[in-house]
Amino acid sequence: MTAKPALSRLGPSSIPARAGIGLRAEHYAAVLETPPPVGWLEVHSENYFGAGGKPLDYLERIRAHYPLSLHGVGLSIGSTDPLDQRHLASLKHLIRRFEPALVSEHLSWSSVGGRYFNDLLPLPYTEEALDHMVGRVAQVQDVLGRQILIENPSSYLQYVESAIPEWEFLVELAARAGCGMLLDVNNIYVSARNHGFDAGAYLRAIPRHLVREIHLAGFTVNRFDDGELLIDTHNRPVWPAVWALYHQAMHRFGRIPTLIEWDSDLPELAVLVDEAHRADAILEECHAWAA
Amino acid sequence: MHGLRELQLGFASAVLDGAEGDFDRHVRTAGLSGARRLQVYRNNALLSLTGALEAVYPVARRVVGEGFFRYAAAQYIARHPSRSGDLHEFGEHFPLFLQSFAPAADLVYLPDVARLEWAYHRVFHAAGHPPLDVTALARVSAERQGDLRFELHPAARLLESAFPIPRIWQVNQDDHDGDSTVDLSEGGVKLLIVRRENLEIEFRPLEDGEFELLRALAGDCDFATACERAMAAQPTLDLPACFQRHVSQGVLVAFHLPTD
Repeated sequence: MTAKPALSRLGPSSIPARAGIGLRAEHYAAVLETPPPVGWLEVHSENYFGAGGKPLDYLERIRAHYPLSLHGVGLSIGSTDPLDQRHLASLKHLIRRFEPALVSEHLSWSSVGGRYFNDLLPLPYTEEALDHMVGRVAQVQDVLGRQILIENPSSYLQYVESAIPEWEFLVELAARAGCGMLLDVNNIYVSARNHGFDAGAYLRAIPRHLVREIHLAGFTVNRFDDGELLIDTHNRPVWPAVWALYHQAMHRFGRIPTLIEWDSDLPELAVLVDEAHRADAILEECHAWAA
Repeated sequence: MHGLRELQLGFASAVLDGAEGDFDRHVRTAGLSGARRLQVYRNNALLSLTGALEAVYPVARRVVGEGFFRYAAAQYIARHPSRSGDLHEFGEHFPLFLQSFAPAADLVYLPDVARLEWAYHRVFHAAGHPPLDVTALARVSAERQGDLRFELHPAARLLESAFPIPRIWQVNQDDHDGDSTVDLSEGGVKLLIVRRENLEIEFRPLEDGEFELLRALAGDCDFATACERAMAAQPTLDLPACFQRHVSQGVLVAFHLPTD
């Protein structure tokens, strides 16, 4: 990707190896009033698919201060339905307007037969699904004219048909489609607990050059009479065990831009900024090791 | 082995339609059963779509209460599945659904309250538009003026109701204090929902004549016909002043002359 001169209305174009926060509508005013000391911001792409109005107006004003990442939650990239070209066109338009440093989507599907779950659903990890994902990611990158990152999801079930570990599936996908990886450390922890695999082994299986972004968030524990499931709810602080795994991840991968995600039961902005500073402290430590 | 497409279609039947059949044979049962694990996805989809409806219809939700709203939402979601990865497009048919939703039959004004909220939602996200080019308009010859077609601002909508829906909307806002009684016999309203330059949204009650004028123009009537309808609806209407006002306030934003 060649660097192009930034237009005056847009802020910095590249994302630093620091912590950023997810920007939600509830915090627009607070962010503009006193731009918080975080390295970058990420938004859900679909929240800016409208033709005009406040969301785009706020994003434009906020973009003047921060590098931006666009994170998609609705492309349904793993679906066997045709890709939604209108959705892709909206995303492309948004990319042109805001020049994000990173654009990401999920290793998941969310619709079939034209019906949308509006949720991130697990794929079976089979050769067929891998071929399918490779083709779809390539198609998306062709339309957008740029690389995207694919994020590992939290999952609550595994298919009997799955024959490839998730980490191998992702690495193979990145190698064949030429996409990067957005590694969600919370999701690794959640899925590892839900399915009984070793989160550390997951990290060790990922080549460091593939990882462009890290996500951190809070999960919720759902207890049932026959066991428990961790649910990726993004409604509370990062858990200590996830911080520990993040520590390991940064030790392995070096300093990677890290996002604090918080999407429901939003606290005041300062709480997110504190979480980001905690991630920054770990990133600094990694810098010290590397030095 | 089951193909990817069949697996996804089977998942959708099991989770969206509750037609579980033997789908759980595709799910590994480590500790928790397949059915339990599928239930998590059923809940997530329901929460995601209910949340989208709650975001668009906060007043309807407040009027009927949270439990009732969730019940209605679940019925709606089953009947009108989401068709887009952009959740802002979900919920368009909810007003019509409420109109035939028997448990809400007593709340005669509820569908119109929902219509107002959907209009607000669409206006909120609509495109901007520069004001009408009045200099160009002035150049249209007098004999062609009747043929003119006008366009409303993309962030402007008209809504007619037999109930005082702006009042119902107002008393159900979080920051409303003071008297919150609504007198349904207060009567109906003809409303322009419009986004101002500062992006705030306003509900403007219109008189019969100006409502008819805008409705006719929005329906692609020529200017002469629109004026006739406006005057028929309200013979006392000051038509030139009314037209001027909607141009200067940025409600009417574009025009063209059809080529013969």
